[in-house]
Amino acid sequence: MTDEKAETEPTLVDKWIKEQQEWQKTATAYFDSLVKNDDFLVNLGNAMRGSLLAGKPYPGSKPQEQAGATESPIPDDRIDEILHALHRIQGEIADLRMTVAELAARLPASATKPTPPDGSRGGA
Amino acid sequence: MIEEPPEKTVEALLALSGKNRARLDRLHEVLTSPGHFGKGATAAEVVYRENKLRLLRLLDTEGRPGTGAPVLFVPAPVSRYFIIDLMPGRSFAGHVLAAGFDVYVADFGEPAREDRFCDLPYYVDGLLRRSVHTIRLRRDGLPVAIVGYCLGGTLSLLYSALYPESVSRLALLTTMVDGDYEGGISWIAHRMGLAGESYDDPRLVPAVEVKSWFEMLSPGSNSVLGRVNDLWNRLDESPERLRDVRTMASWVDDVVPAPGRLLAELYRQFGPGRNELMTGRTRVGLKPVTLADISMPVLSVSAEKDTIAPADAVDAISLVVPQAEVLRLPGGHVGIVAGRAASTLWRRTVEFLGASVGSPHAE
Repeated sequence: MTDEKAETEPTLVDKWIKEQQEWQKTATAYFDSLVKNDDFLVNLGNAMRGSLLAGKPYPGSKPQEQAGATESPIPDDRIDEILHALHRIQGEIADLRMTVAELAARLPASATKPTPPDGSRGGA
Repeated sequence: MIEEPPEKTVEALLALSGKNRARLDRLHEVLTSPGHFGKGATAAEVVYRENKLRLLRLLDTEGRPGTGAPVLFVPAPVSRYFIIDLMPGRSFAGHVLAAGFDVYVADFGEPAREDRFCDLPYYVDGLLRRSVHTIRLRRDGLPVAIVGYCLGGTLSLLYSALYPESVSRLALLTTMVDGDYEGGISWIAHRMGLAGESYDDPRLVPAVEVKSWFEMLSPGSNSVLGRVNDLWNRLDESPERLRDVRTMASWVDDVVPAPGRLLAELYRQFGPGRNELMTGRTRVGLKPVTLADISMPVLSVSAEKDTIAPADAVDAISLVVPQAEVLRLPGGHVGIVAGRAASTLWRRTVEFLGASVGSPHAE
């Protein structure tokens, strides 16, 4: 009975070898990801800093280095003010378009029928 | 001293080795499995754009919007919108969509240098008003239910007072009303120098500075050593739980810069010592705002352990909007919206929104 147990239960050396093999698998998985997955190192670094997202550009925005490349080397407040004014105008134009859309939606269906190109009302 | 037999010592070392290896395996699984990296979990179409704002209309798994009453989520413009649409199974907005509502989310995007001039009217009477207008045009003029989170709740509150006819219901989540309350983000920001923020010559307040105010509320939260230690200890948890924690931490970390003019205005009107919201009267630009004009049903939710918007400062809304139903939930500022116990808030919000139309799915 004792002999059977000794045969089935791995020795300490076996366990140690097995554990080393498992560590090799873990290390291989990490190296594999480092080579094949561009984001892995970034994700690993961010995880160490408590975030999976830091350092990644926000969807729809330019990466920081790209954004920096297009920025004027000497920021000019006047340009910022002009851009901001343009954004405000953009909003006002959107207001006008929405008002027109609202008015158009209130018109009876007949009033929105396109007028024939020759200007005749037809049906006369 | 009794010495352990060498075999026992080796066994113990092997067990420790196995435990640490398992932690690294778990970390690898979390880092290589699909996670959330800064975009909403629910499919969406952009129905309106203005400057950095994107108004998203959420779509179900078949690519269709909800057919029920329209609901607009307004997150805080100083953080990423995706906290309300964090990840599959952890999306507040997705839950409301699944309940049958036609869900819209305002993504304010990331302000650039020129946006440092954006002020309260720009957000409330500009972006927010036009977002509601866009929705109403699509929905035959139906009033819109608004769910505002944190500072997004403040904007929603002001908007609802200015244009009550366009709002069917108003849900405010962790939205501070009492600016005199000692503690919380506005008090800390005041202490950290927000009082000196210039309205006339505003700057784009760097994200790292905005973040420092939040970190002051939980000192040590940004320590690299502390975070690595925390991560290492957490690696005994399941990969799913780890993914949740990391995703939440990602959102907390990912604060955006803030328009200085907006912050200066918020401080001047609602900050400590000013506290205009508690008087019931304030203004958005030149437009006077009277909170008594808020005629629609209001739900205000606070979180017991909220250090950013302390519950007492949130619940104070009942003093200025008497019909407001005040609900205090266990949890923190982020946890009640997207944490593991967030389903309580989601369920309660759907009940509240549903009550506006007689049935949760009807218009």
